Amino acid sequence: MMKPLDIIRKKRAEAINRIVGKGYLSTKRVYVGMATCEIAAGSKEVMEVFKEAVNKGLTDVYLSQKGCAGRCNLEPTVEVIEEGKIPVKYGKVNEEKAREIIERHLKGGEVIEEWVIK
Amino acid sequence: MEKKTITIYINDKPYRVEPEQTVMQAADKLGFHIPRLCYHPKLSIEGACRVCIVQVEGLKNYAASCSYPVSDGMKIHTNTQEIRRARRDIVELILDNHPLDCHTCDRDGNCELQRLAYSMGIKKRHFEGEKKSYDKDLSSPSVVRDPDKCILCGRCVRICSEIQKVNALRQAYRGFKTVVMPAYNMPFSESVCTTCGQCINVCPTASFIEKNYTQELFEKLSDKSLIKVAQVAPSVRAAIGEAFGIPPGTAKEKETAAALKRLGFDYVFDTQFSADLTIMEEASEFLDRLQGKGRLPMITSCSSAWMKCMEQFYPDLIENISTCKSPMSMMGAVLKTHFPEKIKAAPEKIFSVAVMCCTAKKYEAQRPELKINGLNGVDLVVTTREAAWMIKSAGIDFLNIKGEEFDHPLGLSSGAGAIFGTTGGVMEAAIRTAYELYTGETLLDIEVNELRGLKGIKEGKIVMDGKEIRVAVAHGLGNACDLLDIARKEPGKYHFIEVMGCPGGCVGGGGQPYADANSIPLDEECLKLRAKALYDLDRNRTIRRSHENPDVQRLYKEFLGRPLSELSHKILHTHYKKKEPKGIIPRGLVRAR
Amino acid sequence: MKKNKSKENFIITLCDGPSCIHNKSKELKRDIEIQLEKKGLSDNGRIILSGCLGMCSKGPILIVNPGYTIYGHVTEKDIPEIVESHLVKGKPVSRLIIDEDHLYNRFFRVFGDVGFFGKQMRITLRNCGIIDPESIDDYISLRGYEAIAKILSDMKPEEVIEEVKRSGLRGRGGAGFPTGMKWEFTANQKSDEKYVICNADEGDPGAFMDRSAIEGDPHTVIEGMIIGGYAVGSAKGIVYIRAEYPLAITRLEKAIKDARDSGFLGENILGSDFSFDIEIRLGAGAFVCGEETALIHSIEGSRGMPRPRPPYPSVNGLFGKPTLINNVETWANVPVIILDSADWFRKVGTEKSKGTKVFALAGKVKNTGLVEVPMGTTLREIIFDIGGGIEKGKKFKAVQTGGPSGGCLPEKYLDTPIDYESLAKAGSIMGSGGMIVIDEDSCMVNIAKFFLEFTQNESCGKCTPCREGTKRMLEILTRITEGKGEQGDIEKLERLGNLIKKASLCGLGQSAPNPVLSTLTNFREEYEEHIKHKKCRAGECRLLLDYVINDKCVGCGACKRICPAGAVSGNPKTPHVIDKSKCIKCGQCYEICKFGAVDKK
Repeated sequence: MMKPLDIIRKKRAEAINRIVGKGYLSTKRVYVGMATCEIAAGSKEVMEVFKEAVNKGLTDVYLSQKGCAGRCNLEPTVEVIEEGKIPVKYGKVNEEKAREIIERHLKGGEVIEEWVIK
Repeated sequence: MEKKTITIYINDKPYRVEPEQTVMQAADKLGFHIPRLCYHPKLSIEGACRVCIVQVEGLKNYAASCSYPVSDGMKIHTNTQEIRRARRDIVELILDNHPLDCHTCDRDGNCELQRLAYSMGIKKRHFEGEKKSYDKDLSSPSVVRDPDKCILCGRCVRICSEIQKVNALRQAYRGFKTVVMPAYNMPFSESVCTTCGQCINVCPTASFIEKNYTQELFEKLSDKSLIKVAQVAPSVRAAIGEAFGIPPGTAKEKETAAALKRLGFDYVFDTQFSADLTIMEEASEFLDRLQGKGRLPMITSCSSAWMKCMEQFYPDLIENISTCKSPMSMMGAVLKTHFPEKIKAAPEKIFSVAVMCCTAKKYEAQRPELKINGLNGVDLVVTTREAAWMIKSAGIDFLNIKGEEFDHPLGLSSGAGAIFGTTGGVMEAAIRTAYELYTGETLLDIEVNELRGLKGIKEGKIVMDGKEIRVAVAHGLGNACDLLDIARKEPGKYHFIEVMGCPGGCVGGGGQPYADANSIPLDEECLKLRAKALYDLDRNRTIRRSHENPDVQRLYKEFLGRPLSELSHKILHTHYKKKEPKGIIPRGLVRAR
Repeated sequence: MKKNKSKENFIITLCDGPSCIHNKSKELKRDIEIQLEKKGLSDNGRIILSGCLGMCSKGPILIVNPGYTIYGHVTEKDIPEIVESHLVKGKPVSRLIIDEDHLYNRFFRVFGDVGFFGKQMRITLRNCGIIDPESIDDYISLRGYEAIAKILSDMKPEEVIEEVKRSGLRGRGGAGFPTGMKWEFTANQKSDEKYVICNADEGDPGAFMDRSAIEGDPHTVIEGMIIGGYAVGSAKGIVYIRAEYPLAITRLEKAIKDARDSGFLGENILGSDFSFDIEIRLGAGAFVCGEETALIHSIEGSRGMPRPRPPYPSVNGLFGKPTLINNVETWANVPVIILDSADWFRKVGTEKSKGTKVFALAGKVKNTGLVEVPMGTTLREIIFDIGGGIEKGKKFKAVQTGGPSGGCLPEKYLDTPIDYESLAKAGSIMGSGGMIVIDEDSCMVNIAKFFLEFTQNESCGKCTPCREGTKRMLEILTRITEGKGEQGDIEKLERLGNLIKKASLCGLGQSAPNPVLSTLTNFREEYEEHIKHKKCRAGECRLLLDYVINDKCVGCGACKRICPAGAVSGNPKTPHVIDKSKCIKCGQCYEICKFGAVDKK
């Protein structure tokens, strides 16, 4: 019989496989903050913008949600993380800025420094 | 084996006490009486009033002595200047949210809050401000609720839920507005309240009081066109002396009769007479059921609070209830039929008053099923407290009055009738008669000892002509419900069940005199002494069996015919039906703590 | 002046934590700057000093991002090699790399370069902000549920309790009782049934630490509870969460379902013979139900009122059975203690208060948010370094910690380290982690009144001092803020406050007077000004203000028209005047004046 520690290692490998299969390592990971405080600041609308873009064919993106990181007065926040690059955290994102991020960063590869949380 | 003891220090002196008890329990045994308000030995520990606080060395806050356990080496201070001031402030805070109408209050002179405030020495008021304001609840025929006077000790909540298990009351709202009320603040009469009045007994203030009919009664007593008739319950004579300063345990039977006559009653009869009548009917009914003419176990029905309780919580067992009315209502029925015939008067002119130890009787008297030819059997019920007040108010010297006999033809009673007031008494009386009716022989062991005493549920066995009859007795609605749960699960376990709704039986009723300054409400010693007074009455009677009462025999000969005759059924028996007031919780859902 | 930077392509992080035994971060920073200058790379990246990264025994720590390569035992001799090999040539220096897969470090892989998180250490909130809270795969991939596997494989319940005891973890709900001891008491009781409860009834106004923890990472609470259940011998867990957190409830429900489906909850967890399941119960808006015995009564279906203790819940709790009840934050720390060992946990924090604490930093600071710092961090560091100081250039006045049960600490206590004992000594409490920063424009009397109003409304009404005493204190405070304060009021407040503190039945009452008593100690002059001179120096107590028209008045008459008391007089185009005796201080003139001609004094 497998020991629990062996079982969990197996489960972890399976979980990582599933995530990697969805493009976790190979794509740009986009996390939109979806805690109550973020939603109150308007992150649901921002998430809709990203979802729409993915539906309309934006590839190479792993879109997910995250909890509150704690930087509360700069919400809504969006993270764009790529393996091998410095993680980019955008603050005070609204629908307009979200569209810009999609165009300039996700498609164009440009980090929009003015909106990055430092 | 020697009991282990530990050492504690109270006010710097060492004492050896038993472990596994609270500071208050240890202190009480050593002659320290730490002031207290919400604590009661029969109820769970609440720790709400914070009056019993003491200083314990090593603790940064004060400890409530009612709940804090003793430990070896503990150093307790009960009377430092600091703790005296703290206690004084706490009692003042209670007073600051309490009406200032002592002189017109029903508890003036016998109020626990008054006594406590006096002992705290509150002279100046520092923190006065807003007072809570609620309407009085006058809806119930038995109990008046005055939330303005509530000091939130929680005693009523605890007795109603822990001992009576009716759960009619609970604290509601939060903060300053907190107050004790029935669910949703519905009128008391619409709630599950069974009107047993135990809340009145334990309430330290006048937040719960019986519905007072003394003014009305004084008016009626001066109405010359009426024939004023009184009946007196057994438990009243056992306790009325306490209202005049006499220690519990002396039955003031003849003095009560004399005082009532001086108040202006034309006839003073004895409920013990109709108790004998009840036994005739009920024993015969029981024997009928034994032969298959009805459901067993049969359950007694003298306790009106218990009747409301059964209609609400045990409607499936309504067929088991004896159809006999209570002694008070049987007397009322006779008073409006046979009695006016006998004295050649119109029944409408009879004004029938019952002096009872019980608040639920006020509720019972106005039950529509108990009307006789459109008239109430009993027109008005006053409690022992009300009667005592009326006697004082009318200037009658109860302590020195010469006793008088009850009137004919409804005043003679046997010893069996006397013991109706204490738990186990109805069953004992019934057995004395049922045995003879069934076997034809006299029951020689006339005192059935296993049915006496304050145990919550008592069981007994009696063999009648080879047939074993199993009986059970419960007092207090909580014990009664537990007993009925057993009977529901095992229907064959008992044949006959006696229930009295109040702890101790009727002697502990909701209308009995308040405990005085040196006692506590529902004191077990007091209940035992009141019961003893009734047992002594029984012993000193020559006639001790209900069926040997010659006046009862005469009543049957002249009027009723025989027990369970058509006329008996018409006026001495009644029916019960299911009640569903707001707030009924299915019993299985209430999980005991 | 903002430089037009070329793209930033590296970030170097140096660990500057208070526990770092080799703390040479500042010298190393200088060395790196020199090297970068030499190689012309100064404009291509940043050097950041971060808070404790928890790798104290391997310090000095240097991290290069991207790639989050961790170098340990770095000396100044290694700097040129690191800059040359890693930054210029892109080849990391393998001999210096340490392989530290600490749970809490992952947060800093993403957020390590943000100044706000500089002095923070995210143990409780280690996954919040970097995973999808609704994905159990995310949680498992970050070593989630490995702690359970470890104890079910290798540890007996007593060993788990020993580990928690050794870690020094104390209850994060506010009381700070040693968690390991509580577990031990519960485990020692012999009973057929035991319960494990998570207290998620975060009632403090303005507190949102527990909400964020559950919304951001519900699985860590579940994992903690399973470990607790195993340690004390319970098979049933209950999360009591306030109904005002609907999103947290949905996320928790999903997490429990997912955990069950994956075999982490239910019968025979991970193939062992240990079974455990969790149920959710909702609160209904009563602050007092955050008190443990009141919470237990609420779950039982009774009115949520506390009862005297002893007996404690570990002996006689839910339905009379031994019950282990801990706060959300406490549970979230448990998996870390099991996986990273109690010895590591002990290294964080102070002598008597180990680990970190989450604070909800709010009020008049520039950067508000959730802050998790090791115990021992000072208030000054949190408010000024992490919080960025007072906004709008105002002056700091006080900081209120612990929610409505805590006290207000003025400037002289800013260097107090955060731990249970030091804060209590200063006159406040740690509480569940609320931290509100107050500036010169707030009236301390009003703040005390605000908190007391809250506690009076939430008092369960059972015991006399709390129910009646807080009402009387509130009446006195209200009078004071309305200008009706009398001589002797302060003494009455102190007398009542001390009585309520020492005589109340539960923690709500015992701590309700704290805001009042601490402001009386630290800001007595404000009270005296309100009472004797009927003045409010912060300008907040409306009825104590004087409204005066200054020389900016152009005589437009707007104030005269709007004044409901007819207190303004003046002719058009000439300066108007307010009659103080008629003024009812409604403030309408102040609101309506477009010229700033009305002053509030």
